[in-house]
Amino acid sequence: MRRVLSDVVFRIRALFDRSAKRELDEELRFHLEMDAAALRSRGLTPADAESVARRQFGSMRREAERVRDAWGVSLADEFAADVRHAMRQMRRRAGYTAIIVLTLGLGIGATVALFSVVSDLLLRPLPYAHADRIHVFWSDYDWRGEEYDFLRDRAGVFQHLAAFSTNGEPYRPNAADPDGARLLPFVVATSTLFDALGTRPLLGRPFDATEDRPGAAPVIVISYGMWREDLGADPHVIGRRIIVGNQPVTVIGVMPKGFYFATPDIRAWRPLALDPKSPSYFSGYLTLVGRTGPGVRPELVQSDIRRIARALGSRFTYPAAWDKTKHPYALPIRTYLLGDVRDPLMLLLAAATLLLGIACANAASLILARTSDRTGEMAVRSALGAGQWRLARQVLAESLVLAAGAAVLGVAIATAGFRALVAVLPLGNGFGDTVAIGWATFAAAFVLALAIALAGSAAPIRNLVRAGGGAVNRERSEEGLRRGTRRVHGAIIVSQVAFAVLLVLGATLLIRSVDNLRAVNLGFDPSGVSTFTLVTSDNMPVESQRQFLGQVLARVSALPGVRTAGLTNRLPLRDGGYQGPMGIEGRPDLDGTNRPNSLYRTVTPAYFAAMGLRVREGRGIDSSDVMGGLPVVVISESFARRMWPGQSALGKHIYSGWSGKMEALEVVGVTREARLTSMTGDVPFVMFVPLAQQAAISGGVLVVRSSTPPAALMPSVRRAIAQIDPQVAVARIETMDDVVAGALAEPLRLRFFLTVFAAIALVLGTIGVYGVVSYAVARRRAEFAIRMALGASPKRVLREVVERGLAPVIAGVAIGIVAALAVSGLLHRFLYGLGATDPVSLAAAAGALLAAGIAAALIPAARAGRTSPADALRAD
Amino acid sequence: MPTSSADIIRGTADMLILKLLDVEPMHGWGIGHELQQRSRDALRIQPGALYGALHRLVREGWVRSSWQTTENGRRARYYALTRSGRRRLEIETETWHRLAGGVALILATR
Repeated sequence: MRRVLSDVVFRIRALFDRSAKRELDEELRFHLEMDAAALRSRGLTPADAESVARRQFGSMRREAERVRDAWGVSLADEFAADVRHAMRQMRRRAGYTAIIVLTLGLGIGATVALFSVVSDLLLRPLPYAHADRIHVFWSDYDWRGEEYDFLRDRAGVFQHLAAFSTNGEPYRPNAADPDGARLLPFVVATSTLFDALGTRPLLGRPFDATEDRPGAAPVIVISYGMWREDLGADPHVIGRRIIVGNQPVTVIGVMPKGFYFATPDIRAWRPLALDPKSPSYFSGYLTLVGRTGPGVRPELVQSDIRRIARALGSRFTYPAAWDKTKHPYALPIRTYLLGDVRDPLMLLLAAATLLLGIACANAASLILARTSDRTGEMAVRSALGAGQWRLARQVLAESLVLAAGAAVLGVAIATAGFRALVAVLPLGNGFGDTVAIGWATFAAAFVLALAIALAGSAAPIRNLVRAGGGAVNRERSEEGLRRGTRRVHGAIIVSQVAFAVLLVLGATLLIRSVDNLRAVNLGFDPSGVSTFTLVTSDNMPVESQRQFLGQVLARVSALPGVRTAGLTNRLPLRDGGYQGPMGIEGRPDLDGTNRPNSLYRTVTPAYFAAMGLRVREGRGIDSSDVMGGLPVVVISESFARRMWPGQSALGKHIYSGWSGKMEALEVVGVTREARLTSMTGDVPFVMFVPLAQQAAISGGVLVVRSSTPPAALMPSVRRAIAQIDPQVAVARIETMDDVVAGALAEPLRLRFFLTVFAAIALVLGTIGVYGVVSYAVARRRAEFAIRMALGASPKRVLREVVERGLAPVIAGVAIGIVAALAVSGLLHRFLYGLGATDPVSLAAAAGALLAAGIAAALIPAARAGRTSPADALRAD
Repeated sequence: MPTSSADIIRGTADMLILKLLDVEPMHGWGIGHELQQRSRDALRIQPGALYGALHRLVREGWVRSSWQTTENGRRARYYALTRSGRRRLEIETETWHRLAGGVALILATR
């Protein structure tokens, strides 16, 4: 083995090492000088000696290089011969080879495509300087302007602290567009944001401290994408005025390509003017992001965060239910941005890797069987002394050819299917657009192919070396090879089955989990409902808003096929927020910091019918509930029951400051319980108030129930809205069914992938068991024939073969289940209504693999049972 | 490359080089020189063949090379015998003696 090693080292050096060439040159120059010196000592003049020696040198050097290069060339030659030999072998078993390459390619394709996404999203540097120093404070989108102003001077280790929130305004880059304005999603932030992120604009400048105060001239920093797509990449864009939400805004900066904050779908950044005179100064809608100075240790960040929380407590008082001074933490910005997508992606990557492992095991099993079939040849050759290394190289060449083919196929699959894959991955907020297939993919495919080739040939080569090492006679080495092959085949089946159990179990768990989610009673009826999110400009007067929304309702209700149309501020299952503490009549115990928290939904009278929300007691909102009339509220069932147990809620009062001033709202109705925020978890209290009684209005979501299919209705609704006011953006158009599906998106998508992976794993596992049992049967044909000639019943032979074939399957199932129990924590957060160790799913996965194993073993076993004595003569 | 009767017999170069290196480590020129000297000009090896053989012996692990300074202060690559090289030399020597004996026996046939 040492010889083999030094041989390889030398050849590789000869091929690649340029210093080897330099050393050879120096050695030859030395030789030349010595020759010249010898000639001189024989009486030649120095010049003659030199020229004689030099004449020799040319031919000498050519000769030496020829000798040296011959080894490098011969390595390449031998390798090419090995590869050609391997290809011939593959062609001879084209069918099986195709299966191996296809399954390996699929495994490689899925793994590298997912790896590209993961490496792009989770490993690529964020578009901020020293991103490891940027942290986001706890309570996302829940900080108040007054809290930010208070903390700004007490930020401790945070050199730069910024507050931001997301917003959107109608924007109409093309006035001729018949669909009217579209939504421009942007971030509003204090001028400290760009310091906190440490990123400078590509063109122009960020906004400064004179621009984020009330009354400052409106300015905007735009994204590279917006600059290219909406402003034609105008090089003189700085200073240009664009109209955003009816208002001229001056472009002062363009951010560099690839920059995003907070999510890639954000198109611009505008100053956030915190005004202590505005009511919004006291409501929570901000996120705080801070950059620490260089070299601040994580422990120091956490202790400083605790100090900041204590400072907050000294100034503000919080209700016990959401005391901000409790459990403070600073989230690294990478976790904040990508924490949600990391877990499902890692899960899918792990699943793809398992699949690849199974495919790899199949390939190894094929190579092993072939190596083993050539025991005779190999034993003879290794007895002659030449064999081992050469044979091992042949095995390696075959694996490399298989793996290279699979890698090419895998990269083709990954490249062709990349966009489709990204589209079905659980990636939100435009993160899918930031990932691209690149060198990482090709590098990953290459590395995987090498790993597969090495893993696939490790067992056969080990067997060869073992058998060849002590090879004195042919019989012994053959027997050694076969024993080794059996053992390795068994191990391959065990691992294949164990991997497949994990995948099938994962798929079963997600299928059952999605079934549970589908069975959740929503409390509203999403079918036949289309929704349109209307974004009006913030500076549109309330009366104009009221008038516009009234016209929309009237026009849309009159469209053919429309049954009813209503408005709300937040769409169920999609839009969160708008909740706060409420005062409850007759419950002095629920006062102050104990006030119950409720969702606050503004609606028009037809909303209940349009959404299919049922009123259980009293009435809904009706057209008599207008400004100046009795302030009314309709609440959810659990809200009514918990606040006034044992009595009717009708006629009771809820105190709320949401409509602008503190007022008492009379409960006039109670609705059935409905899932307005999420499919899972607790159902929060809900109150519905008339839109007509709101002092402040900012757009809304139009909800239309129609008898015609929503898809057919959507364009006409959109056009009707654009005709009423082209300055209003229709931001999102989707059916309520899609909204519900969106709430299920993550489990649905995971289920899709795991089901596909599990199906392939089952097929591959079955092929693996079938292949190995067939091989064993073929090898023992003579033995079976003799035994049956001596009176053993076919049934007995059949049973023995099945039992032998199933032993590694059973072991694999057992190991798979133990492994599943060990890693159950990974899947837990994706499941609803069952645990990751759900016994039904475990039993189903184990049963599926056992059934596949029995089926796969039965066919070759039946063949064994049919062996005739004549076969014994034909067998080797 | 012209060959002459002074060129050493094919297949014996390795053995001769190993034998010379068994005495003391030498550089390439020294080996060629010694070969000629000790055989009293009966044997000669072409530089290309000499270095080709030396590098092959290194590759086989029978000889190792290192850069050292000659007595004249020049840097030169010196070759030395390894343990397995010594074993190889024994095998080759034995084979050679058997072979030469066999050849002698046949030539002695009348």
